[in-house]
This record gives sequence, C-alpha cells and structure tokens, in this order.
Amino acid sequence: MRPATLVSLLAVLTPFLLPQALLAQTDPGVQGGPARAGGPLPSVNPNDGSLQFFQNGLGRFLEIESVSNSPQGNNGLGPRFNFVQCSGCHAQPTAGGTGAASNPQFQAISNGFVMGSTNTIPSFVTANGPTREARFPFFFDASGNPNPDAPNGGVEDLFTVSGRSDAGTCSLEQPPFATAQQTNNIIFRIPTPVFGAGLIENLDDSTLLANQQANAQNQFGISGTFNHNGNDGTISRFGWKAQNKSLELFAGEAYNVEMGISNEIFPQDRPLPEEEMSGGLPQNCLNLSGAGYPEDTTNFSAATNSSAQVARARAGRSLGARFGGSFSVDQFAANATIPSDVVQFAMFMRLLAPPTPSTTTPGGTASISNGRALFQAIGCATCHTPTLGPTQVSSLTASLSKAPVNAFSDLEIHHMGAELADNVSQGGAGGDEFRTAPLWGLSQRIFLLHDGRTANLLQAIQAHQSNGSEANQVEENFNMLSPAQQQALLNFLRSL
Amino acid sequence: MQSAFWGFLALLGLTLGPLKPISAQGTSLGKGDLPQNTPVRPLPTGVILVKGAWASASDSATPLPEGGSLADHIYSNSYFGLTYTLVPGWTQKNYGPPPSDTGYYVLVQITPADPSTRASLLITAQDLFFTPTPAANVFELIDSSKRNLEAYYQVERPPTPVGIAHHSFVRFDYFSPVAGLHWYVLATEIRCHLVQFIFTGGDAKLLESLIRNMDQMSLPADASPVAGTGDGDVPVCVHDYARAENVIERVDPVFAENRFNPIPVRIIIDTEGKVKHIHFLSAFPDQAKSITDALSHWRFKPYLRDGHPTEVETGIMFGRERRPTAPFATGPNE
Repeated sequence: MRPATLVSLLAVLTPFLLPQALLAQTDPGVQGGPARAGGPLPSVNPNDGSLQFFQNGLGRFLEIESVSNSPQGNNGLGPRFNFVQCSGCHAQPTAGGTGAASNPQFQAISNGFVMGSTNTIPSFVTANGPTREARFPFFFDASGNPNPDAPNGGVEDLFTVSGRSDAGTCSLEQPPFATAQQTNNIIFRIPTPVFGAGLIENLDDSTLLANQQANAQNQFGISGTFNHNGNDGTISRFGWKAQNKSLELFAGEAYNVEMGISNEIFPQDRPLPEEEMSGGLPQNCLNLSGAGYPEDTTNFSAATNSSAQVARARAGRSLGARFGGSFSVDQFAANATIPSDVVQFAMFMRLLAPPTPSTTTPGGTASISNGRALFQAIGCATCHTPTLGPTQVSSLTASLSKAPVNAFSDLEIHHMGAELADNVSQGGAGGDEFRTAPLWGLSQRIFLLHDGRTANLLQAIQAHQSNGSEANQVEENFNMLSPAQQQALLNFLRSL
Repeated sequence: MQSAFWGFLALLGLTLGPLKPISAQGTSLGKGDLPQNTPVRPLPTGVILVKGAWASASDSATPLPEGGSLADHIYSNSYFGLTYTLVPGWTQKNYGPPPSDTGYYVLVQITPADPSTRASLLITAQDLFFTPTPAANVFELIDSSKRNLEAYYQVERPPTPVGIAHHSFVRFDYFSPVAGLHWYVLATEIRCHLVQFIFTGGDAKLLESLIRNMDQMSLPADASPVAGTGDGDVPVCVHDYARAENVIERVDPVFAENRFNPIPVRIIIDTEGKVKHIHFLSAFPDQAKSITDALSHWRFKPYLRDGHPTEVETGIMFGRERRPTAPFATGPNE
C-alpha cells in the first residue's frame, strides 16, 4: 500500500476508531511473564533452618493426599472434600496463589481422585471456570426449599471418597447442588492467595486500629469494622470474611474442611452441616485411614530419619532447588519433618514472600504511577490501604520484623451491598460484609471477587456498587474519571 | 450400602426428629433435585437476608438518624429536622450501608441522572458520642480533617464559617489535581451529630450552584458547628450523661456470647429518669435484647434545664470499649 493511500485510509477511519479507542478502557488482563511470587522471604536461609522448613512446607503443600495407603502424601482424605492437594486450588500463578485457568476440580474424575460411579462434577464447576467451594446459606425445609429462618453457611464439599479403592465401604452422596441452584440457595468462594501471609499475621492489632482511626474522617461514606477471634477477642484477619485469627488455624480448618483431613486443631472428620444435624457421619466412613485420629499429626519419631521422612526431606530439597537450595539432608531438614502438615503448611505460608509488583507493565511507568495516584485520590485506598505496618518484631525471620505490608487492605470488614452479599455470617461478619481483599498479586489473578463471578477487573470494580455498599461514593468518584484516567487506574491495579 | 445409609438416616430421623432444631435434609441429600410436585420457592436475589451487627430501635415511632427518606425530590429526615430539595434531574441511585459501630451514617447519596454530569452529593452524619476522632465540636472535627488531609490533595479553602439557609456551617474545600475533582464539605452540628454535605465533582461552578441550592433547605433552629444540642422540640443531647454520678440504678446486660464488637447505643431518658427510647446503632439481635432488658432497670437523675426536668439524649458504649481517645466533650454540652 502506498503511504498516501494509507494516510487517506486512516483519515477516513480515524473518526470511527478514535472514539472507541478513547472510551474503551479495558482490563489489561492477567500479566504474562514470570510469576513474581512463590519464593521465600529474603531473610529465609539454610543456615538457620528457615529455608529447610519453607521447602518442607512447600513440599507438603504440593502433595496429593489419599484416603489410605498414600504413596506420597498424608492419609485421611475425606470422606468429603473439595480437592486432594493444597496447590491444586492455590495454583495461580504458582503454589500459594489462587485458582488456575484450568480448573482441577473439573478433572477430579478423569484424574482418578473421585469415582464417577458415585460422584458427578457439579454444573458450576467448569473446565476453565473458577476453582470453587460451595455453601448453602440456609438449611432446607421439609419440602426441599430453603428456610430463611435457618441460617446454614457451612461448606458443602463437592466430592466424596465413595467408590475409591482406598475408601472401603463408605457410601456417601454429594450435597443437593441442583436443588440449591434451583432455589438460589448456593454461594461460592474461591481460594484466597496466601503470598505474604506471614506479614499480615505479624501485624499487631494496634497498627490496624490506628489505621482505622486515621481513615475515620473520610469523605467517601466509608466506615468499616474488624472481625474478632471468639476466644481472645483480638482481630482476626484471614479468609474472605477475616474469620480466622492465625495461619495455623487457617491451615487446620482448610485441611479439615476442604480436604477432609483431621488434624491437631480440628481433630474429627467433618460432616456436612446437614449431616451434623442428623447425627454425624456414618460409622463406616470414619477412620478410613485406619490409623485413628487425628489423621495429620506431629511425627514423634521423625528425628530417627525413617525412610519415609528422608524421602520427604529429599522431596523438599528437589522442590527447593529453584530457590537456590543446594543443601543436603541435614539436621534442619530432618527437623522440618517433625511437625504436622498443618504446622508446616502454616510455616510455608508464613515464610512466603509477597508478590513483586511491576513498575512498567501494563501501560508503562507513567500510566501506572498516575493510576496509583488516582486510586488514592478517589478513595479506593481508604479500604485498600496501600501499606500497613510496620509489623511487630518477629522471632522467626528478619523479613517479618518491622516490615511494611503492602497488601492494599485495611483488613477490616465492610458492608459491600446487596449484590455482593452471600448471606453467610462468619464470626462478627454478616451476610454482606467482607474483608477488604488484599490486592497485591492482582496482576496474576484470573478470577475476581469472593466467588470468582468475573474475570474482568472493570466489572469487579463496578460490582462494588449496589444498595447498602460502603463503596458507593468511591464508585461515583471512579465514574467521574475520564476513560484515560480509568485506564491508568486499571493499569496500576494489574501491575500489582 | 446406599439403601442401608438412607435407612440409617431415616431411623435417626425417627429417633431424633422431635429434638432436631432444624429440619435435616436426609431426604434431599444427594438427590440433586426437588421432590416431584414440590413448588419451588427460590430465595430472592440481591437481598441481604443474613445481617450481622445492625441498627435497630426499641420502638418504631421515634425518629432515627438513618430513617430519612426521599420522596418527590425532597430528602426529609425527621430525626435531624432536615429537608433538602434535590436539584432537578438528580436522584438517589443506591441507598447506603447501615450505621457503623463508630457512629457513622450515610444518610443519602444523590447523583445526576445524566451520567455525563460529573458530580455527586453525599450527606453523612457522625454521632459525636462515638466518634473515633477526638474533637471538641464540629469545627474542630472538620479542622482535623484538614490537618490529616493526604498530601496528594490541595486545600482550596480551609475550614471557614459560612451561612447556609440562615444557619451557621463550616465549609472546607479541597482538590485533587490528578483526578481533577473538587470536594466541597459543608458541616454543621445537629443533636450532637456532625452532619456533612459533601459535594464532589469536576466543575467548580456546578458545585457552587449546588451549594446555593442548599439555601432552600430547612434545618432545626440550633444547627451550628459549635452547638446543635437540640432545641425545644427534641431532647437535649448530653455527652456521657450515663456516667456514674447520674445513674441511680443500673443492671448490666448479660450476653450469652461475647462477640467482642462495639455496641454503640443512644438512649432518650424521660423526665422521670427512665429510659424512654433505645437506638442500637450496631448490635446483634441477641445483644440488643440483653441490653434492652438491662436498660429497663436503669434509673437516672432527671436532667434539669433551667431547673425543670427535661428529656435528655445520650450515648452508651456496650460491648467492646474502644481504645481511649480524648473525649468529644465532657459534661453537659449545651
């Protein structure tokens, strides 16, 4: 094409194309390239054993659990569960993250984790949809309809062990997902990423309270409060509703609820809420591992370096090689085999570094910088506090001490309105209250909001606005921005 | 095995049925569908059915701060004695959240129906009995907003006394260069609340015209940034009137479960010293019941105004106490 012809063509097309280009602010989407997450904190090292514990925890995080006779992982899976491996759900962009593009739950039958003769893949679990857990906000009444006077809210595990060769005669059926969908009595949650979780855990309550007070006189209609641990009254901070106080509690609950493995924090197999009301799990579905309870325990004899434990340490070594680990099966590695899985899951999360944001992509440095300024100016940062801290002094590793926490969250719970409400109460959080989701690592997240209802960041932002939401005024402020300003803000968010 | 399991459940159901607090779903577990011929009653969408700590009151007749309404382009709030006529073409898109446990209210948010008009009005209230920010009056509170303003804003007008609708207000303006947005804040005090009108937008002239429209607003006689403690028609509001020296009889509430949440409560005490009205800004239903039961036993010294017993409104924080801050005001705040 001759240059003159090209210029003419552009001159004709520009009036049609330019407005589209100017108005069409779009989510830059998941950023490619390195994960920029998944490694240990900088101070984690082999000389004090912290690296060995991190690597051991990572190894356990990657293990596939079985009901009994596990060749690699722990026994005790089920009798009900959502998946067989921590990193199966916490996968994107690497172990410790959130749901991946390819949903492993959809392949649970084809991969042999679940028997198709006794389980079906629920319709809300799709090949490329979000990895999910399901909850029924209300119990059903005798006619099979939800009873709004009977709040439930517990996790309804997707699968059962029934039909597996290692599950004996245990015969359970899946929860009534079709009925729940038909009666609008089902909500979903997606996995929360745990990068940088040790920093969040190591924030003293006074730091959180001071931040709340500093934001109290905002002009955006935002208030917020904290969820509290029911035992000691301190601020809880993990989970979509900030319902869990510590990483060990978080890990123990997930091991029990999501994978059905009893442990030293949750020592029984967990029935569904309906089963609990009806007398619990049937006897032939208990103690399927044959080793008694809890199914995950401290390894008293680990110091003798039994073959299994050495194998575990070696597995940790190979997995840790990419983090510069050229260590041998030393005493630290042997020590790391002693704690239970739950303790080591928590240690892995605690020592896991936060994601590293990009200063250049998407959109370039100037756009990202401008977007960050807009994020603060229009009020997003009132809840999504860019930096909390510093953390309290840590006895574990230096990187957790006196450190800023750039999580973009105040760790408070806020009323998010009727459209986002899931009608599940957890601790002090009501049906429409959610913890401000930390935004670090947003560049690599595929599915957004608590239930993964969208993969589009612009839609996720817009979903903050509805009746009863604290974010309504900030949404109006966002709407007042020009398309170019909104694009800069989106670029900034996808740089995190 | 499957039939044995259902048989087991059925037997359990027969045995435990009368004791079950909630109908268990042995019959629907695993079925996947409603039983045939069962009318489906799906839950409504977009409705908050499970509430956490929420606002409530001991009666429905006494006006509440959050009880304002918008009708025929007029926002009316009986509690604050406030009526505000909307600019033509403006409306409420969404209602706000419930009052917070820090005593913060989103009264109404008004925006132009035409989305190309870049402006909004947010009317909020802050209960000065429970504010986390220490200040002696509304002027000081707005001044504290100015002192704590982030560096990325520019102050256009420091807190300044102005007259609006024949009442005293304090006005504070600031601007975001990066967003190109102005915030014009006008505040006064009514019944020991900071009441704020927050105009946001990119067009300063438009915002000024909206502020001029406020002159049509009606307010109680005593609305003022340094007073606003109630006039003849409403109880006088007094900070910390429920302190020990004024309480003759007191019964503490007994909570079945300690949830560790702050429970801010406003009460109106009648001329005989009895609790006449209770407003829970944020409480779980069981907490509200326990506190209601307890307050029915409380007796206060009647509040005297010019030597005559007068109804008085005050605040009490039950549940979790906040970390101490300088008090908003000590003693009667008339």
